[in-house]
Amino acid sequence: MAFIRRYLIPRLIQYFLVIFLGITAVFFIPRLIPNDPVQRTLQEMKARGSFLDPGTMDEIIADLTEMYGLEGSWGEQYLAFWGRFVRGDFGVSFFQFPTPVNKLIGIALPWTLGLLLVTTLLSWTLGNIIGGLAGYFSRRGWSHALDTVAMIVRPLPYYIFAFALLLLLAYVVRWFPVSGGYGLGRTVALNWGFIKDVLWHSVLPALSLIILGGAVNFQTMKLIVQNVNAENFVQYAKLGGVTEDRIVSKYVIRNALLPQITGLALSLGQIFSGALITEIVFSYPGLGSLLYHAIVNGDYNLIMGITVFSIFAITTAILIVDLLYPIFDPRVRYT
Amino acid sequence: MKAGKKTFSRREFLQGAALVATAMVANACTTPTPEVVREEVEVTRLVEVAGTPVVEQVVVTATPPPVVKGEAPAVLGVLPRSETLIADILTGRVGSPSNFNEWVGWKNRDRGMQTLANEPLWTVDFATGEIINGSADGDPIYNDDFTEMTIKLRQGTTWSDGEPFTSADLVFTVETLMKYEGFNATSFFNENVDTVSATDDYTVVFKLKQPNSRFHTTFLDRWGCTWVMPKHIFEKVEDPVTFEFNPFVGTGPYKLHSFDPAGFWTIWEKREDWDKSPTGILFGEPVPKYIVYQNFANEGAKILAQLTHQADVVNLSSDGLKALLAQSKTSRAYQPTFPWVVNNDPCITGITYNTARPPFDNVDVRWALTLAIDIVDYLAIAMDGTATMSPVHVPHLGAYPKDYIEPMQDWLKELTVDVGNGETFAVYDPDAPKRVVEYAKGRGYTFPEDPESVAKAFGLGWYKYAPDIAEKLLVKNGFTRDADGKWLLPDGKPWKIAFMTETDMTHPGVRNGMAAVQQWKKFGIDAEHYPTEAQANLISIGDFDVSQSWPAQEPWGAGPDLYRVLNYYNSEYVKPLGDTTNGHPSRWSSPEMDAIIKRLRETDPTDYAAVVAVGTEGLKEAVRQMPGTPTFGYVGFVGWDQYYWTNWPGSENAYTQPYTHWGPFKYMTPFLKPTGA
Amino acid sequence: MKVLRDLFKDYRFALSFCVLVVLVIMALLSFFSPYDPTLWGVVPRDLEPSWEHWLGTDSNGQDIFWQATFAVRNSLIISLIAGLVSRLIAIIVGMIAGYKGGTTDRVLMFISDSLLVIPLFLIMVMLSMLVRQFMNLAVLGLMLSIFGWAWDARLIRSVILSLREREFTQTAILSGTGTLRLVLNEYMPFAMPLIFSTLINNMSWAIGLEITLAILGLVKMSIPTLGTMLNWAITYQAILLMRWWWVGTPVVLSVFLFIALYWMSVSISEYLDPRTRIQRVGAQ
Repeated sequence: MAFIRRYLIPRLIQYFLVIFLGITAVFFIPRLIPNDPVQRTLQEMKARGSFLDPGTMDEIIADLTEMYGLEGSWGEQYLAFWGRFVRGDFGVSFFQFPTPVNKLIGIALPWTLGLLLVTTLLSWTLGNIIGGLAGYFSRRGWSHALDTVAMIVRPLPYYIFAFALLLLLAYVVRWFPVSGGYGLGRTVALNWGFIKDVLWHSVLPALSLIILGGAVNFQTMKLIVQNVNAENFVQYAKLGGVTEDRIVSKYVIRNALLPQITGLALSLGQIFSGALITEIVFSYPGLGSLLYHAIVNGDYNLIMGITVFSIFAITTAILIVDLLYPIFDPRVRYT
Repeated sequence: MKAGKKTFSRREFLQGAALVATAMVANACTTPTPEVVREEVEVTRLVEVAGTPVVEQVVVTATPPPVVKGEAPAVLGVLPRSETLIADILTGRVGSPSNFNEWVGWKNRDRGMQTLANEPLWTVDFATGEIINGSADGDPIYNDDFTEMTIKLRQGTTWSDGEPFTSADLVFTVETLMKYEGFNATSFFNENVDTVSATDDYTVVFKLKQPNSRFHTTFLDRWGCTWVMPKHIFEKVEDPVTFEFNPFVGTGPYKLHSFDPAGFWTIWEKREDWDKSPTGILFGEPVPKYIVYQNFANEGAKILAQLTHQADVVNLSSDGLKALLAQSKTSRAYQPTFPWVVNNDPCITGITYNTARPPFDNVDVRWALTLAIDIVDYLAIAMDGTATMSPVHVPHLGAYPKDYIEPMQDWLKELTVDVGNGETFAVYDPDAPKRVVEYAKGRGYTFPEDPESVAKAFGLGWYKYAPDIAEKLLVKNGFTRDADGKWLLPDGKPWKIAFMTETDMTHPGVRNGMAAVQQWKKFGIDAEHYPTEAQANLISIGDFDVSQSWPAQEPWGAGPDLYRVLNYYNSEYVKPLGDTTNGHPSRWSSPEMDAIIKRLRETDPTDYAAVVAVGTEGLKEAVRQMPGTPTFGYVGFVGWDQYYWTNWPGSENAYTQPYTHWGPFKYMTPFLKPTGA
Repeated sequence: MKVLRDLFKDYRFALSFCVLVVLVIMALLSFFSPYDPTLWGVVPRDLEPSWEHWLGTDSNGQDIFWQATFAVRNSLIISLIAGLVSRLIAIIVGMIAGYKGGTTDRVLMFISDSLLVIPLFLIMVMLSMLVRQFMNLAVLGLMLSIFGWAWDARLIRSVILSLREREFTQTAILSGTGTLRLVLNEYMPFAMPLIFSTLINNMSWAIGLEITLAILGLVKMSIPTLGTMLNWAITYQAILLMRWWWVGTPVVLSVFLFIALYWMSVSISEYLDPRTRIQRVGAQ
């Protein structure tokens, strides 16, 4: 009971406060940039060849301002936003007028979730397992070799790495497609042909993310395990005749995991920001480029929609990790 | 732990690495150098005979189609590759893929709506300078004081769902646009149109509220215009503004096949009743059965797609095109040799000065900045020399050299600026193109050097590179140099110029910015390139020094009528700084230009000679006052893969304009030839 | 000096030290560059490496070797500023939050969580758009440092949390050690390896983020850094045009920079941890 009163409730209040603060910040910051969405729309229309008669420009601006819901002061817009938010309505996108924001997110979300969920979990798991083993057996040759590989892969600029992969596996050898989430002309349906196509198209983006993410996790875990390895209790266990399997799994890895779990939670939470460069290099659908174009175009509603998801995901991930800390590390107490 | 397992994976890794390394080395050794093969090839061409276009077989010197086979997949997705043409969308990923309602906002109409499925009343083809009658049958007929306009519509055409196209559709369109708020054209029609009615099934009469000799141009497709709605679909809809219009129905020769909900591709299929579309009636059956518009999120992937024959025509950047030509045996550019580029986009690029902000309000300063530019170095930086320079505010293409630029040569040669102390300086340099030729040869490019080809590729001349004269002009107006040679404003402060552009580094406007900044830096001004996403907003409220905005508004598809160009400088559109301006971003105007605009407005747009005469006066005034410095015509970089399709409208066989995102693309489709691969 | 000698016994430290010295020399060479890095067209374009131009020239007409000296210098400065400033903040916040607990902990974590929660990318892009006009090295470094501390503060805090419950803490407090001494003398050695690995993480993150921002075009392109050099090369399609000297230079340099930093941090943190030092350097 004391736990709930002394820790849980304040923690939940903090949780909601952070979300509120985050949403408010994301509401006001885009409006501070001198990137007026109405002007951008006009510019876009002119650039795309709509001949806007200079005489009628003022009416067009007034019409657009009203359609975008940008009339009134920021305070009024802010309250209007919360009014719509509680109904789950994020409004319509400015730049893809009049498509509702929810629809845009709904189309992009499955791609991002699918790709990033799988790659984050895979790279974390693989990286940590191999890293843990390499850290424990840090004197062996293979451990040094893997460390060197990870060390060379990690600092490569991701764009170069991804593009080199594309060049190699889609052009030099034609094993994978050059772009897209799925083949031309295919309809989105849950049949085996479509799923196979999606998987085939996702190999390259996934590979680039897993290798890079895995390298990072590998190195961090190796370092941590090396330090844990040197601790007294591990030496005692070895001298005491505990089998190596037990030492590695029960003593070393469990202790090394705590900071890594925090890292995993945060990575999972950041899925909702998308992977912009992956989407650029592989022409892959997802939230990253949606968000980027929204920012550049001053599409306030779309920015709010995506980042609200993101804020919720990250905050919830942190909350869960905080609450579960004591399970992983019995030394931590919250009373 | 099983140590054996770990060593196995290390060996495996080393093997894989060796494989990868070998593959890369092998590829590096097999890169071909760009080859330009010129042979006699049979090509199909479109020729005008007594007013109606006629198809004719000609023999032209061009790059022949390839013979290599078996390199590419036979089926792409679900489409048979040899019957499909894959083009790249110029305008990027489609934001709202299921929405084809082009009358509201922007729906990426170059993904097939404008280029394949819609037939506007009239289309201007800037390659030939002709106006093609699409859904209209002949020119619009105005009454004497331009308050009434009659349009005759083409007979015997149907919408892609089979319903006949009649005057009721056009009347319904205009009435709907006027009735509902939210359409792009609402304000325009409400301001201009009093009544619209159909006198018979194929004739529509407009009564205008005030005289407007150019009212019909709202239906003239250059890059967008007012389209006709199918009445039988829209009349059943509650709110036509939010109606998605999915699938798109038009009178063009193609109909919608499918689209990607994520916005990456749109596929169009040839109509079975293609002969009921104006394109089919005029030019015959379109050849590709399927046409795909695909978006590639980055240029590298685009080039790789074309190299692996997963794309047929792509829009690139200057270096992208070079990379494509270097790596591909089957691709060609618009021009068979250097400079390769598409240089007949009717837009002049250059520098725009904010004449409402000192010191750019002083015409001497604007001329000084212009004379401080070495156009050869400028073109080298901006485009590696592959652009056509123009000293006036229209580009050097189509009929403009014949109508405007060549007749103005004498006047340009005699044009002088007053340097002070009674000294004048003649500013025009007709030898500038020759120096660009020298630069290009120095870079190792080979190309025809006869005067006609040089003029066509590089232009007729530009202003002299005269930094000493520029210095005198500045000194005359109170500018000074400090100890380091940097320029100071008349009030003693260092002169800083921030050249504002958008952020795409390959865009011709941005390249202008980069080149200009380098010239002015060498001249001693503290100039800087300032790319920003907010440039649209900042330029419209006048918060900039110098920007990449086109120094003049583009004319309609390179026609002789420069009304649209000059009216943009109209003084009634100029607003004070801080307010959004409706006219040209330079906020420049002059009583002389206003008078010229008024005269042009009263000139009959179909009186060719009169229109050109007034237009010339307007261009002279713009040159004298330099609200913006024109440098070169807009350059496009198109790569065509000849593996599946050939007979592209290259510069040696320009039967129509070359782009796949402009309206006249549908007129190209009957002339493409499959290679049989 | 003895410390240095001991450190040099580790081959990784020795190698990385040499690489860093070379890179710093490169950075210092930039002061002697015969070319102004902001001017274009000063040398012929697209030349392969030769005796006149050691790393060739690029499509803007600049000598790549001298550009690279500026790029290394600027990237080093940016990542140093970003890394050091954010370490400072992370250590202070993490230690205080971890040790004090209670309300202080909650408030500090609240601030750090808010920073974590607001999507970094969004703020970065918008900040770049705002400050683009006056962007210079310091501004960029500070921008990157603002977002680099939140995660690591949490990590440090988690270490402190587990340390706090250990027996030696109780012992120290009972024997009258002040909070500051306790934190600095007793906890830091445990946190040091983490801090070093996070410093390296952070410096490479800063370099990586700078490269990402440069590739997206959000950094001032006229400042030569590893990221902007790479962006120019990519924009001009240097990879497909087989201009390996232009693309290769920033990639190879950043790989070397990172490997050197990594090895240096690993060997220093092993040295600082008394148990591993004894193992490697030998009991003295």
